[in-house]
Amino acid sequence: MDSADQRLPLTVITGYLGAGKTTLVNHLLRHADGRRILVLVNDFGDISIDTDLIASQEGDTLTLANGCICCSMGGDLFYALSDALDRQPRPDHLLIEASGVADPTRISEIARAEPDLRLDGTIAVVDAVGFTELSGDAQVGGSVLRQIAAADLVVVSKGDLQSPEALVGLKQRIAALAPAARQLEAPFGRVPTEVLLGSLSSAEAGQASSGCCGHHHAEDHEDHEDLYLRWSLARETAFGREELAELLDGLPAGLLRLKGFVRLDENWALLQVVGARVEVEMLPDVPGGIKQTTLAAIGLKGQMDTADLDRLFSR
Amino acid sequence: MQTVIYAARKIITMVPNRPEATHVAVRDGRVLAVGNLAEVSGWTDPGELHLDETFADKVLLPGFVEGHAHMMAGGVWQYTYVGFQDRISPEGELWEGLRDIEAVTNRLRQIESELEPGTPLIAWGFDPIFLTAHRLNRYDLDLVSKDRPVAVIHSNFHLLTANSVALEMARYDRTTNVTGVDLGEDGEPTGELQEMAAMFPVMRRLKIDLRSLARTASAIRAYGKICHRSGVTTATDLINDLPLEDVELMTAITGEEDYPMRLVSVLNAHTAPAEEVVAHALKLRGLSTDKLRLGSIKIITDGSIQGFTARMRWPGYYKGPDHGIWNIPPEQLITTVETLNAAGVHMHIHVNGDEASDVTIEAVARALRKNPNPDHRHVLQHCQLADAAQFRKIRNLGLCVNLFANHVFYFGDQHYELTVGPERAERIDACATALSEGVPLAIHSDAPVTPMGPLFTAWCAINRVTPSGRVLGAAERISVEEALRAVTLGPAYTLHLDHEIGSIEVGKKADFAVLDDDPLSVDPMTVKDIGVWGTVLAGRPQPVS
Repeated sequence: MDSADQRLPLTVITGYLGAGKTTLVNHLLRHADGRRILVLVNDFGDISIDTDLIASQEGDTLTLANGCICCSMGGDLFYALSDALDRQPRPDHLLIEASGVADPTRISEIARAEPDLRLDGTIAVVDAVGFTELSGDAQVGGSVLRQIAAADLVVVSKGDLQSPEALVGLKQRIAALAPAARQLEAPFGRVPTEVLLGSLSSAEAGQASSGCCGHHHAEDHEDHEDLYLRWSLARETAFGREELAELLDGLPAGLLRLKGFVRLDENWALLQVVGARVEVEMLPDVPGGIKQTTLAAIGLKGQMDTADLDRLFSR
Repeated sequence: MQTVIYAARKIITMVPNRPEATHVAVRDGRVLAVGNLAEVSGWTDPGELHLDETFADKVLLPGFVEGHAHMMAGGVWQYTYVGFQDRISPEGELWEGLRDIEAVTNRLRQIESELEPGTPLIAWGFDPIFLTAHRLNRYDLDLVSKDRPVAVIHSNFHLLTANSVALEMARYDRTTNVTGVDLGEDGEPTGELQEMAAMFPVMRRLKIDLRSLARTASAIRAYGKICHRSGVTTATDLINDLPLEDVELMTAITGEEDYPMRLVSVLNAHTAPAEEVVAHALKLRGLSTDKLRLGSIKIITDGSIQGFTARMRWPGYYKGPDHGIWNIPPEQLITTVETLNAAGVHMHIHVNGDEASDVTIEAVARALRKNPNPDHRHVLQHCQLADAAQFRKIRNLGLCVNLFANHVFYFGDQHYELTVGPERAERIDACATALSEGVPLAIHSDAPVTPMGPLFTAWCAINRVTPSGRVLGAAERISVEEALRAVTLGPAYTLHLDHEIGSIEVGKKADFAVLDDDPLSVDPMTVKDIGVWGTVLAGRPQPVS
């Protein structure tokens, strides 16, 4: 579906040192699923790519065998972004692993400003064990709290090392800081790629254009079948504007991402939901190969019911 | 062996035994003798005595050392200067300061009429602090051109004003909702773009690449000229990624006989893990030449005080929001400083707010407890809000400071009224406290943020006068002698070069600043107005004209 959208989707991952950003990114690169992801890191000390993934290294650029690329920003986000946009061929997705004290809004604002970028989501990684002490730290506590407040999705790492009671307390604390953000746990960085990245993989894009959704590749999801639930919809009837706005208000709390093309009255729109952030963008043309509304969602098992979604979207 | 004796009206040496002299003998590019004619003549047979009286009515000082500036100060002149103060281009043209917005647009119109069609018009140095009638906006710049993109970069490089064409290219309009894209009462973008996010789309489309302003042969040459014109014979380029191909280019250009100064280029420590930075720094150290010095590194810890992004201790900013940022997590600063110090790599560490200073002082203290490093001379750069207690710790740890004296003039009123309030504004860039606490002191311009000019920098430290006429922190004023030392031997010490440069002394490089008048005799309020004839580098006279 992104063939209709020339903008480069940008995901920002923040989190203090040791929160688990690198584990998350490494897992993501292992499960890129055909996407050519360009990862910008502060320096390669931040990210240790397993050597079997690396095809070549030249200066500040690592090329992986699966087509993904890692670049060091060298402390200069501005030029790294500029270079990323000028890169030929343009990658499918841009991921910025921000420094441990970065204010993610300073990065996400660039995606709002730059017409060739699309903000795909801001993700904060929070260390369940270290959070309480860190959030009270005089020097960096403020940065850590700002990162959570700016997030669409909060990934809690090392939850398995924390007591269940403490984990409940932590989640309440996060919910107070970021009421709209969705929270999920990520043992060993295992978060499905389509949760972190809203852009479709090449395989999924192919399905979308053939109008066949909801079919899974088992190998993509091996890690997380017990935690996540997928849902998809193909619908002939167009939505009314008010109808769509109303049902987007009623999305279940466990929904992490929803994306797809929507026939809206006589027009087409691109719908992107990450956490509580909803974007409906009217498209000037009929997206190539698309004949009906096709939507795909992923959410947390136990907090999202596919039957509810079916009811919501088929009223 | 050619020996030249230069006669001068006065030579100020920075050497206590003979602080002043009238003659200096030079051989092999080094100072052979300093004193009166009789004293310096003893090294040469009377028949071979070559007396050069070019400087008979001039005053010689050790060549100025600019301890904190950037190569971009030269390359930025490829854009049109529209600042409030007079500035002289690398080519020696006087660009008069522009006193109102009409003068700015007039100059831009003039330049515009000479540009190829389609080429963006880019200007720099605009300073809204001084032009208060109204904020420069798109409509002012539309008067310059309605067809070609026009962008005016402000002097702090954090703001930019664009005309309507440039705004359209970035697709900014009344529907834009981006922090930093200023909207007017009519809901339309005013043209002012604040900070990177908002500036990015315009800079990208107009191909404004500040990085390239420091990486080309012409930029390196232009920087040499800017320094030369202000009497500087050694200047830093205080953060550079220094890939080896750039080092090659810098080596070739600085090695040309007529390249007018010595360049100290300092490695950006934020590009790689600390261990790799160590390896690169040590390799660079080995590539140093007579006129290109390498091997030190730069770390940036926080933002700027006037941008409200410096890390401040209690009670924080006076008026305005606290946007304090760490450029590197304090925890990582501690390990980086430890690794670099352990390897004996010399560090320049940017600290603006007093919390950033605190954290850095502690990081250095820890590093030194683990790996004592006598004579390390790590430098706290800017260090603008340090108080007396911090200066004592700084001294005890063997740290140096390079204070941003030009800030007292350029931002002093703002600091007093807005950023830090009256009392702390008075201790900003506290040169007198640094000296009385025994801290090795240098002062700097941070060019191109403020203009390169050691005499002006010294003037700021001597008088501490702001544009509104306020004397900001009278007790922090230093004497003319002290200020001259802080632009010569002081910075030489912070660069580990005081055995080679910074004073006019037997055995040292014959690097001199040649002035039209004597800074020790003129009214201290006019020190900045003294003309610079040029310099002498390794015994070779280099007039500016």
